[in-house]
Amino acid sequence: MIPDDAVERLMESALLIGAECEKANIQQWEIYANQGYGHSMEIEAGRISMASGGGEGGFGIRVVENGRYGYAHLVDTSSSKRAIEQALSIANRSPSIEGFELPGNQSASNVGGMKDKAILDMTPEDLLEQGDQVLTRVSELDSRAVAVGGGIGVGAGAGAIVTSNGIEYGGVYTSHGIGIHVSIDEDDQLTSSYEGESSRKLLSDVTSSVDKAVHWSQITREKIPGGETEDCPVLMTSDGFSPLFSVVVPSAVKGERLARGESFWSGKMNQMVIADHLSLTDDGLMEGGMSSGSRDDEGVPCRTQKIVESGRLTGELWSTRDAAKSVAEGKVDSAESTGSASRGGHTSPPLCGCNDLILSSSAKSHDRDRLIEEMDNGYIVHSVMGAHTANPTSGDFSVTTSTILRVEGGTVIGAISQAGLSGNMAKALNGRVVLGDSSKRKGSYSTGSMHVPDVLLMDGLRINPA
Amino acid sequence: MVVTSRQAESHFSNGRILDEDKITKALDMATSLGADYAEIRLVSETTNTASLKDGKLERAIPGQEVGVTMRILADGAWGVHSTSDVESIVQQVDSTFRLAKAVAARRSPSQTIVELAEVPIIEDEIHWKSQKDIRETDLDKRIEMMLAIDNEAKDDDKIVSTATGWSDEHIHTELMTSEGMNRIWSFQRSLINGMVTARDGDDVVSYRMRHGGEGGLELIEACDLGEMGRNAKISALRLLTAERAPSGRMPLVADRDLTGVYIHEALGHPCEADLVAAGDSCLEGRLGETIGSEICTVIDDPTIRGGYGCYPIDDEGVDPRPKNLIVNGVLTEYLNHRETAHRFDLQPNGGARAQDGLHHPLVRMSNTIIQGGNHRDLDELIEDIDFGIYACGSRGGQVDTGRGSFQFAAQEAWIIENGSLSRPVKDVSVSGMTLQILKDVDGLTKDSRLAAPGFCGKGQTVPVGDGGPIMRIREALVG
Repeated sequence: MIPDDAVERLMESALLIGAECEKANIQQWEIYANQGYGHSMEIEAGRISMASGGGEGGFGIRVVENGRYGYAHLVDTSSSKRAIEQALSIANRSPSIEGFELPGNQSASNVGGMKDKAILDMTPEDLLEQGDQVLTRVSELDSRAVAVGGGIGVGAGAGAIVTSNGIEYGGVYTSHGIGIHVSIDEDDQLTSSYEGESSRKLLSDVTSSVDKAVHWSQITREKIPGGETEDCPVLMTSDGFSPLFSVVVPSAVKGERLARGESFWSGKMNQMVIADHLSLTDDGLMEGGMSSGSRDDEGVPCRTQKIVESGRLTGELWSTRDAAKSVAEGKVDSAESTGSASRGGHTSPPLCGCNDLILSSSAKSHDRDRLIEEMDNGYIVHSVMGAHTANPTSGDFSVTTSTILRVEGGTVIGAISQAGLSGNMAKALNGRVVLGDSSKRKGSYSTGSMHVPDVLLMDGLRINPA
Repeated sequence: MVVTSRQAESHFSNGRILDEDKITKALDMATSLGADYAEIRLVSETTNTASLKDGKLERAIPGQEVGVTMRILADGAWGVHSTSDVESIVQQVDSTFRLAKAVAARRSPSQTIVELAEVPIIEDEIHWKSQKDIRETDLDKRIEMMLAIDNEAKDDDKIVSTATGWSDEHIHTELMTSEGMNRIWSFQRSLINGMVTARDGDDVVSYRMRHGGEGGLELIEACDLGEMGRNAKISALRLLTAERAPSGRMPLVADRDLTGVYIHEALGHPCEADLVAAGDSCLEGRLGETIGSEICTVIDDPTIRGGYGCYPIDDEGVDPRPKNLIVNGVLTEYLNHRETAHRFDLQPNGGARAQDGLHHPLVRMSNTIIQGGNHRDLDELIEDIDFGIYACGSRGGQVDTGRGSFQFAAQEAWIIENGSLSRPVKDVSVSGMTLQILKDVDGLTKDSRLAAPGFCGKGQTVPVGDGGPIMRIREALVG
């Protein structure tokens, strides 16, 4: 899937661009290069509808002159001279940040599990066979169920960073992912569920997502009338909670947003912000972590950064430039990179973001059945629509769910067709919270990867049945 | 057979990037292998983004990206290859053909084979000319425009930060097919946006604004950016004092922005024929049925120049045209591409769009707009509402097309009491079922036009325009 010498080729090209920067007498420069390859197949209306493959990549050039920075991107080295000139021209127009320099070379620990040879060996035909397995599994589980959409993909990427400050780093990573949307349409009632997972290793069983999708499509068919609007406990499954959490929380823990008063946790460093048994850790060194690695996207060694410890806000996330800027502007007394720079590819300069973000509890966790008992009366929500409309500044959200079960006396009594779910993430996490016992990663987002278990939120949420 | 050959405005022509001879040979090779159809589409984008934080330049990024995608249809199934290495695409014919054959081999006899509706085979170039070519705008000008927003947005102690952004792109596309289609087109998009954050003690809120469309610098210059900044500041400060919105079923009045998002989510997506074909649309089999109130007429029109979702040619080389999705409440048309036009025996209507040169075309909306009604203005729409919500500005939305359920969120809102606006509320979201709520639209003001530009995600992200008049819904689920 990926040439054996992919990293070397990228590094060679990056060094060529770096040499152009040297010729232009640029004080500090950084060349980021990436190249991705992959195969995928799509499922539509119960069949495999398409197979595809390909690759893409390019280069990003960051230059720094007297604390001013500029950036430009390109797809091949032949236009590097022009891109360097553009980046330099922008740097000259940018405000100078006192103390801002590109990171120096520091030793970094090796993080395992970033690539799996089994993925590199996958052929398009292998992927199509997995598609067959998925479709067969759907019909085996429920003859009424149809895989209306979804797909499976494998990818391999090579990345490299070369800087004037001595960083020369490159690596290969792999991924394997599935998403499947199953629906059951019978007796004028359609229920459906979308499930997915991804990993840096070859997924051992692509059909486990199918099992969940069919299960939730089945158990939401037993409808009961929606009740009145009520403020009540809600058990959000990991799949339901993760999208909301990813929109609100990673944004709130960025150092710059905290310093600028743009976070609901601004001004609360060393104060209690969530329930005292909860902790929040950003792990950049997680073995096999989808957002982990030896170094971040500007070459700084990744680390495990504690953000909230036993309910108290103790840490924050910084990229090199954000840290220097906030200090220079007097918004904070001191700050330094936490190895939290990330990019959306070569077209983006490094921006601050989380790696593998983990919500954990020191209290005894429970399995889902026990959480339901604990809740006594309330709802279980397995997916939400409109998570992206949540407000990351205030933590407020108002979303809709069609995968919702009513619980009375610790027992699920049926599903309601649709309901609104609203509340404030910061307040809900600061109330009575019980975590489930499984913290499998749920999704990779532009904000990093979330590791959240099932979460029982006893306070601060409102359910508004349709 | 080439039925048309024409040359349009060539102001923005960059010249051909694809090697015509090599591509023709590659397409011929696909045909000789047994392909029913093959195409190669290249997109080259010249982009500029920039942003300010608190009035200072945060970043400015010029870029030049290129991507090329080959699609091969063989035995009624698709194989696709995409790459940013333009030269390599011609080497991928055999492997892509084999992918298509492998997909076809898995199809059961009961499953539909992919065929394409016939379209005019055209050789031409169309280059939409902006009054002010955005590529000639320098960074100082971009900063000046962003500062025009910023300077008016921050003049209050409770405004803790401002952020403004800029994005422009010149898009150049080349498409060649085994049928002889050979088209080149180009156009530009420009966008400016901002966000104001206000704080009072522990209460922190933000308000966003956006302006732009198809065209060059003239689009941004035509906007009163200072007013945009002032309005954002006022809205953010008002949100600080707003209380939590009530929950429940009540009359809803939506401004132009929210009406646009509503019609995009609730109707536009279920009208996409690829979702209908997948069995994932609540509008399957309902063409000709009354699904909305008779005051509802909705079009999707990629030909509205200046709209953020318009384009000169769709990504299968089909000339786009306005689609009448609903006329007086009756579902009259799906959005389609060549595959779904054939599947449903419809005329192709130019609805194929790809995010860029690295993605294959899907059925997508363009500029989706509900036409105006008979009400004079907002006052007339709310005068007989005892208790309801007037919601403004969009924070986005989402739809489950199969179930027909949708959700969208407002930036700010007011309680309507006894026929007039009373106090502001925040965090208003609205949800409902497409087939019910379209019937509950019972009032539209006369003036209909596109609102703020937006982006639509469906695995791929494309720019879209949405809009309409101010709209009243008899009863909606709020909160």
